[in-house]
Amino acid sequence: MSARYGMVIDLDRCTGCGSCMMACAAENNVPSLPQATARTGLTPLLVRKVSNGMDGVARRETFIPIMCMHCEHDTPCVKVCPQQAVEVDKATGIVMQMPQRCLGCRYCMTACPYHARYFNWWDPSWPAGMEKSLNPGVASRMRGVVEKCNMCHARLHSVKEKAAAAGKREIDPADYIPACVESCPTGAIRFGNLADKNDPAAQDAHSPDAFRLLARIGTEPKVYYKSKEAWVRGLAESHSGPGPEINRAEVMGSEVQDG
Amino acid sequence: MKVTRRDLLVWSAGAAAGLLVTPVPWKLLDDTSIWSQNWPWIPQPARGPVEVKLSACTLCPNGCGMKVKMAAGWPVGVAGVRSHPVSKGALCPLGFGAHQLNWHPQRLRVARHGASPSTWNEARTAFVKACSEGPVVVIDGYPGRAASSLLQTFAQKHGGSYRAVLGSETRALASYETWSGVSASALGYDLENAQTIVSFGAPLLDGWGTPGRFTRLWAECAAGKTDPQLRLIQVESPLSRTAARAWQWVPVRAGTEAAVAAGVARVLLEERLVSARGPMPPLTLSEAAAQAGLPTDAIRELARTVVARTPTVAIANDDNPAIAALNVVLGSVGARAGIVRRSKRAEPYVSADAAIPNARTVLIDASVPWGFTPQTDAEVFRFAAWDGGSNRPDWLLPAPGFLEELTDVPTAPTSAVETYAVAPSLVKAQHEVQSAAQFLGSTDPTLSTAEKIIHSRCEDLFHGRAGTLLGQEETPLAKLASAQKLEEQLWKGAVWVGEEPHPASLRCELKEWPTAVPSAHAESWSTAWPAPVLPPLATKLYRESTLREAPEKRTA
Repeated sequence: MSARYGMVIDLDRCTGCGSCMMACAAENNVPSLPQATARTGLTPLLVRKVSNGMDGVARRETFIPIMCMHCEHDTPCVKVCPQQAVEVDKATGIVMQMPQRCLGCRYCMTACPYHARYFNWWDPSWPAGMEKSLNPGVASRMRGVVEKCNMCHARLHSVKEKAAAAGKREIDPADYIPACVESCPTGAIRFGNLADKNDPAAQDAHSPDAFRLLARIGTEPKVYYKSKEAWVRGLAESHSGPGPEINRAEVMGSEVQDG
Repeated sequence: MKVTRRDLLVWSAGAAAGLLVTPVPWKLLDDTSIWSQNWPWIPQPARGPVEVKLSACTLCPNGCGMKVKMAAGWPVGVAGVRSHPVSKGALCPLGFGAHQLNWHPQRLRVARHGASPSTWNEARTAFVKACSEGPVVVIDGYPGRAASSLLQTFAQKHGGSYRAVLGSETRALASYETWSGVSASALGYDLENAQTIVSFGAPLLDGWGTPGRFTRLWAECAAGKTDPQLRLIQVESPLSRTAARAWQWVPVRAGTEAAVAAGVARVLLEERLVSARGPMPPLTLSEAAAQAGLPTDAIRELARTVVARTPTVAIANDDNPAIAALNVVLGSVGARAGIVRRSKRAEPYVSADAAIPNARTVLIDASVPWGFTPQTDAEVFRFAAWDGGSNRPDWLLPAPGFLEELTDVPTAPTSAVETYAVAPSLVKAQHEVQSAAQFLGSTDPTLSTAEKIIHSRCEDLFHGRAGTLLGQEETPLAKLASAQKLEEQLWKGAVWVGEEPHPASLRCELKEWPTAVPSAHAESWSTAWPAPVLPPLATKLYRESTLREAPEKRTA
């Protein structure tokens, strides 16, 4: 039976510490280049700070981790890729990016409604000797390709190998945990198989407080968010919801300037 | 058959058109793409056996439990240990990039004397000569370790003194040390049993204490709940990360936390909202309100909220006697869910912040935050794994980097229970390094070694028969067969956890409201980071995103 891996991120628990960003970058051998800025850096998982737009004691702020939403339906990046470098894995629901096929045309970046894709502007490099600290499960990517979150697919591979070595056909769901989920100090990110109604993540996704970003465009993202605060839930559709006006650019990132 | 020029052109055009409907051009394009992804100069990860080792992070005194993924003998990733009794599976954001620190371009590889390269022998000769000419002061940033014990012994043997640079969390407990006589390093916060926590600017959700301890507690008992089991009230000027997530944020003028504490204490005493007795603050309610920029009713309301759900504890960001006095008024000192004494053994440390007169030599351990500069004219021998550039001492000596040194991990500064763990050396340094303790051992052969002290500490723990060992399973120490078994388990990543504290063992006598000026230090996760450099991946936090401001004077 095919799985539909997804996440439910409890924004009320997120303190914006950035551990998930660091763990993601370390796990996926994302380089940290001196010339990279907020516009040109690679951040497959990016935590943004957003506010309710008020001042003084009425001001409220929250943090929202943005990564590939792993859209299930009419996946925009898949539709535009001329190289078939992006596909939705039928067995897992994970939107896969194959850098070996990518030509770097960046159509997918334009098509992504969540600004969750990043272009690799430079050859990956590390200070002398630091390549020894790279995760052997993930190959470094070349300049000129697009990168994004793949739900730590290398971890899924190694869990599958472990299961196969033990003579099992199915993996133990508890073994497959993406780096961001593992690193979150508050347990704000719940990961699981959304197709399994007994999975806590699937149950969380059906909570009345759960929402998805830009759900109205019908791409069926597999990353859900959750909050008890109405103004936070209002971030999902920007100006269309009740409550204070939310600056959509703040959430989706068009305010990011060269640093 | 005669082939004409026209035939040749038609054939060529046909071949070109036909080629387009074959997979050849697309395959070539694909192959070119793959080929161009694999240039030989693109770094590729090292191959080799992968294993996971349990250890503890030793970059700061919080000693978070750490899983280290090793490949081909090198650390390639770190993660928290969920079963760790204090850190609860969390690390600070910087910890996740710590395994790359040993290859940081600013790694100190050779000894330096002033601006020139030097050798260990020259450094040793100069140190021995300096020690023979006058007193030596040894400064430690991570007291309580086996290595600290060596530093202390050396200082005593050579007629010098041992001083410690303490973090803001320990400094915040200094007033209780003054009033009770119990060392601040033996005190902790029993947060797990509190129902209301009033934080006066302490970044509880942003790197205060052991990162995972409070954040996990908050996530389970408070996050997103309108009537949480744990109420977090943040009294602070800016809308910090903690204030944004608190149950209640009380914005006050910066630096007026002591006045707010005095105002709250006055209301508690005047309205008899507390059963504990304490001195009446000299500040009137209206004076406190005027200083803080709040209406008097706001302070009155805050005082009522503070005791609406007890037990309550107040936490300061640094040494702030007024906030400590508020805890006395609340009856939270030496009480469950308040300030507790976790250890009988700990002794007070002399702070290194004061001027150091009459010293011939000052030796600074690598654990001392790089930003610390001793107030002295003495010759300074400083150990560091990374060269921070500024603050250049007389001698700068290369120390072991991340996981390059065997060390033990004593109790974290804010913990309510005693813990003990061992962080073995998992990586061999690529150049000649020595810790301050090893260096002193090389100048004085009568000194013991860290390994021997860890061994004797394990024997002491074993003979004490108290507490529990948390490893693969939970084992009461009384059921453990031998001290050797205990030591073996600790080397494999187990943690010894002491018994629950007895709150009544701490008593504070306070005759009058303190008037001492609060300390002006303000620390966050980045300024408290002891190393002069950050992990390179930290740029993701402050340069490749807009999540955080770049820390000052730090390079990645």
